[in-house]
Amino acid sequence: MAVAKTDAINVLNTDTAKLYTHIHPILVLSAYYFNFSSIVADPVSSLIKFLIPLNVLQIAYVVICLPATGTAQPPPVLKSSGMKPAVQKKSPKGKSVSLASRITPALLSLTLSLALGTPLLGTILILFGAPLTTHIHHTILCAAHISLLSALPLIYTHGIDTDKWRRIAALMIPLDEVFGAAVGTCIGAWIGAVPIPLDWDREWQKWPITIVTGAYVGWAVGKVVGGLLVKGKVIDLRP
Amino acid sequence: MDDERREELRKRRERQLQKMAEARFTVTHGLLVAFLTVVMILHVLGLYLFTSGFLLTRVVLDDKSECGIPPIDLQSSYTAGSYEKGCWHPKTFDKAVVIVVDALRYDFTVPFKPKNEADKPRHYHDALPFLYETAVAHPERAILMPFIADPPTTTLQRLKGLTTGTLPTFIDAGSNFAGTAIDEDNLIAQLRNASKAVVHLGDDTWHALFPGHFEPNLTKAYDSFNVWDLHTVDNGVTEHLLPLLQAANTSKWDVLIGHYLGVDHAGHRYGPDHPAMAAKLRQMDGLFREVMDVIDDDTLLIVLGDHGMDAKGDHGGESDDEIEAAVWLYSKKGVFGRRQRQPTEPPANAKLQSIAQIDFVPTFSLLMGLPIPFNNLGAPLVEAFIGSKGVDFENLARVYRLTAAQIQRYMQEYKQVRSLDESATAHPEYLWGLANRMWELTTEEPMDAIKWDAMFTAFYNYQAETISVCRSLWARFDVPSMFNGIFVLTIGVVLLGIYARGIGALRLALSPGFVKRGGLGLVLGSLAGYLLGAFITPIPMVQAMVFLAALGGSVGIINVFYKARRSLVWPIPNSIWAWVAVLFTVSLSLGFAANSFTIWEDEILYFFLTTMGALFLVSSVRQEEVIDRALGCYHSILFISLGRLASLSRLCREEQMPYCFSTYYASSTSSTSSLWQLIIPFVLAFVLPGIVKQFYQATNSYHHSAVLWLGIGFRTALCLGAVFWSLDAADDKEIFGPAASGTLKTIKVMLAQIVLGIAIPVGYSIYAWAAPFLAIQSMSPNAVSTSKITCLSSDKRSRLAILGYNNAHGSRYFVLVTMWTSAIILLQKPMGAGAIGILLWQILSLLEILHANKLQDSAIGPTTLALLGSFHFFKTGHQATLSSIQWESAFIPLKTISYPYSPILIILNTFGAQILTALAVPAIVLWKVEPKRKGLLAAVGKAMATHMLFYAVVSLATAAWAGWLRRHLMLYRIFSPRFLMGSVVLVVVDVVGIFFAVGGTRWSFLSVGDVFGFH
Repeated sequence: MAVAKTDAINVLNTDTAKLYTHIHPILVLSAYYFNFSSIVADPVSSLIKFLIPLNVLQIAYVVICLPATGTAQPPPVLKSSGMKPAVQKKSPKGKSVSLASRITPALLSLTLSLALGTPLLGTILILFGAPLTTHIHHTILCAAHISLLSALPLIYTHGIDTDKWRRIAALMIPLDEVFGAAVGTCIGAWIGAVPIPLDWDREWQKWPITIVTGAYVGWAVGKVVGGLLVKGKVIDLRP
Repeated sequence: MDDERREELRKRRERQLQKMAEARFTVTHGLLVAFLTVVMILHVLGLYLFTSGFLLTRVVLDDKSECGIPPIDLQSSYTAGSYEKGCWHPKTFDKAVVIVVDALRYDFTVPFKPKNEADKPRHYHDALPFLYETAVAHPERAILMPFIADPPTTTLQRLKGLTTGTLPTFIDAGSNFAGTAIDEDNLIAQLRNASKAVVHLGDDTWHALFPGHFEPNLTKAYDSFNVWDLHTVDNGVTEHLLPLLQAANTSKWDVLIGHYLGVDHAGHRYGPDHPAMAAKLRQMDGLFREVMDVIDDDTLLIVLGDHGMDAKGDHGGESDDEIEAAVWLYSKKGVFGRRQRQPTEPPANAKLQSIAQIDFVPTFSLLMGLPIPFNNLGAPLVEAFIGSKGVDFENLARVYRLTAAQIQRYMQEYKQVRSLDESATAHPEYLWGLANRMWELTTEEPMDAIKWDAMFTAFYNYQAETISVCRSLWARFDVPSMFNGIFVLTIGVVLLGIYARGIGALRLALSPGFVKRGGLGLVLGSLAGYLLGAFITPIPMVQAMVFLAALGGSVGIINVFYKARRSLVWPIPNSIWAWVAVLFTVSLSLGFAANSFTIWEDEILYFFLTTMGALFLVSSVRQEEVIDRALGCYHSILFISLGRLASLSRLCREEQMPYCFSTYYASSTSSTSSLWQLIIPFVLAFVLPGIVKQFYQATNSYHHSAVLWLGIGFRTALCLGAVFWSLDAADDKEIFGPAASGTLKTIKVMLAQIVLGIAIPVGYSIYAWAAPFLAIQSMSPNAVSTSKITCLSSDKRSRLAILGYNNAHGSRYFVLVTMWTSAIILLQKPMGAGAIGILLWQILSLLEILHANKLQDSAIGPTTLALLGSFHFFKTGHQATLSSIQWESAFIPLKTISYPYSPILIILNTFGAQILTALAVPAIVLWKVEPKRKGLLAAVGKAMATHMLFYAVVSLATAAWAGWLRRHLMLYRIFSPRFLMGSVVLVVVDVVGIFFAVGGTRWSFLSVGDVFGFH
């Protein structure tokens, strides 16, 4: 992995943001954990219901912790480097941006991730072998959850610039807690498919529970790993 | 003049150099093939060692039972020793007619009882009511019972069981193609000893098992493997059987065996739920009525199925439908009975009540007054000896005592021959002692029915316990041999891994050393093994030779590696791509340890392939060059979408139910294609040549022989193949009436032969002699050409471009792949043809993806091809089970079995996908490559070694798991078939990859080298 020159996303420089970014995955995962039995019992209606708390939490997270697109802070410059460009403006404090100006992009990201991300991810799920003729609702809901987990913060922080999204699709942007969480969600969902064929005859093996669970766990792990361990590195796909 | 001379000399010199380069290439190429062959030999030796220890073995005892020597003192007024009255026990019948109806499943014979409202009768229901009706109307005359076969459920194995009374061992399953004579004591030999005239009619497997045992004048045998033919055998048997039953002819024979194949063939060809099956069963019904009418009182009539069939009409495995056959005994004497409180009507299914097929042996022997064959483990049929009133427990106890005593005699003998563990047989010994002490009381105490019943139960318990002990005893494995096999396979994997990914520029330079030392090692090793085996008796010679040869060969190769150790690198993955290749290979292999992952292998492969496609897409988006990015993205998406399309073709194995829906055939209970599927081959013929042509045109390579082959040859072969499958469907449905069947068959076979003729001989001629697909284009001097190679003409007025230069190697080689495609498509069912067509498209897409992402040298290419081939194995209607082999594909271009063609056809049908992908491996390296690039042959060797490595790892893993899980309940259902498949695939891919793919590059290299020189 090579360290890229481009900027990784940093959490807003406020105490609330720094605190909540760590509390957020715990909140989401515990909410998921407490809903797990009802999701197993009735996936469709429970997954629909659970979209609401997930929405609220994700929006709270991006609003509280993340810089909206275009307002990103420059990375903290190491004193030794001395390469700080003179023209750069002083980084705006999180508080200085009004709440409303952050809620609007958050809601836009929500709309986009649900309206664009869900069908796209649903198609991808089908291409990965999701049932084609049955369980359509299950698949769509699974896609919606993955989209809210991974795409919402990405859209919020990176906007809808085509070239930027080409780089995201190519996994070329540096890892940070947002991108790490998105990659983690995908890997988690991928690994979530592993237990499906096993003959354990468990209720939770049915479509799409393992995928959704894998996505949630992978999201949390990816967020932590991306935000702390491999921050700033870029995935190397060279031959 | 001087100039001319000099020019001449220069040209001659050039020609000489070219010749030398060509010769050098030929030698290098030959050495590469030779080295890979050494690797293949290592694989074969390892597989042999493992197989010889893994596939179960049983010592065959040559002892024979004799009429005058009962196994135990009879202790009754009856004197043994007379064939007239009955050897060990008074006989009941003089004559017997045994009608074997191949694949007569039990539920064909009992009335249909719907389980719920939606349950509708199938075609096979209620078509053969006769057996059930007689058993209900006259319980004292007829018995109908489920007849449980011991797997493997192949006819040869079943006939062995039905005549010797022994349990089968797995190794014999493979010998169904060429049956071998039975040496063990058996019913037919006993009949001969008793000077009975045995007449056999029907399936010729009997003659392979009992050569010379039947009355030569009356016996009539028929070829058993032509499964397309439903009527020849059956009509022939009936034609000879009925006259023999007439009173005038009954003196000519004592036992008549008629073996009908129509039901089995109808199952193989159409599946059980088909009108042809109903018609066949009704024909059998009528036949039984006729036979019953003509036999006399002293003749025993038996109808039995040797095995059942699964939902598609195939058999060989151990699913319930395959093992549950039916048996029906009939006699006008009325000697049969039922035990008290047992219902008189036949059981509704095999779960309620059943008998084992080996029980036929003692039952038949004692009813006919023969001694029980020495090796028998079965028990007499209670209903046949209990008397018509169902109270003759004394008779029952006596026949069970005789049977038990014979089993005890056999066990004693077996224990001596194969020093058995005392503890293994302790419990049956105890039961035997117990039963004998009870027997001693019978002479002292007054006996009544209840006491005799207890006596019978005591001997029954002994027999039941012994058979379960035997089952576990014969599940004995030769662990050291298995371990040696796995050891050799592991070494093979490691050496191949180092060769494929661990040596750099030296790959070809080392070939002579590999061949010399490896070959020498093989020879010396086998010699050492021979000497060891010859002088030290306890060492089995063949095993020692094989093991030491493998060891010697490996040491030879290691020696070369050691000498070149400075240029070796550890084959540790150094990029994400290599890691992904390793990850997928290893996780697939680890998955074979779990039965679920083995069962769902098709879905797992699909999942992996889509993941590969997604990674290719991500990588393609990264490409800086717009053309690379566009082509990479387009082909990645195409690759994934085609995979999804192919994944719709499914043939479910039994264990996947109910989560799987078969689409390969018209329905899940048939093996014919539905009408819409017949369109697929025509669509292919129309579209596929065009698709390949587009890939050729994209690199300006569609010239000369490429037009001849792709435009005419390939398309014609596909068209004729499509016509073949339509005619085949017409023949199935008898559209032109039954009379036209013969003509239709001739036309079909001729068509198929023409297609294969175009594909292989014509295809190879074009492939061997074609020049590279280049063309010269002249244009204005300032024009920009897509071709990289242009030059200004001498008069500077036009610019010449060599079209097809960029893909000279790739386009030239790929003809080989399309040739074999046209042959393999013919040999698949229409749905499978579609899958193979998609496979070809995916291969071409993959070549473009690898080129766009510059991954030609990575391990990912050969690994993705291997995954792709394995995936399409399932999409062409196969599963890792014996019953999914499409035997009938041997009869596509042939009317009868013919060696070696029939096995080759079945291999092409079964492993067509793996064969195509193996053939495509050199194309990874050669596609869109600069013709003058150096080291192409080495790269081909590297790619092929990587490809072989995948299959070697899978084969090693399946062997290791099968060995490790040898006590697993699912061994025979899941792990053994997967291991067998893994080893056959490895050998097939080795052969194809080495001799046809790497071997085949010779012509394309020579042809391109002729133009651009050898580099």
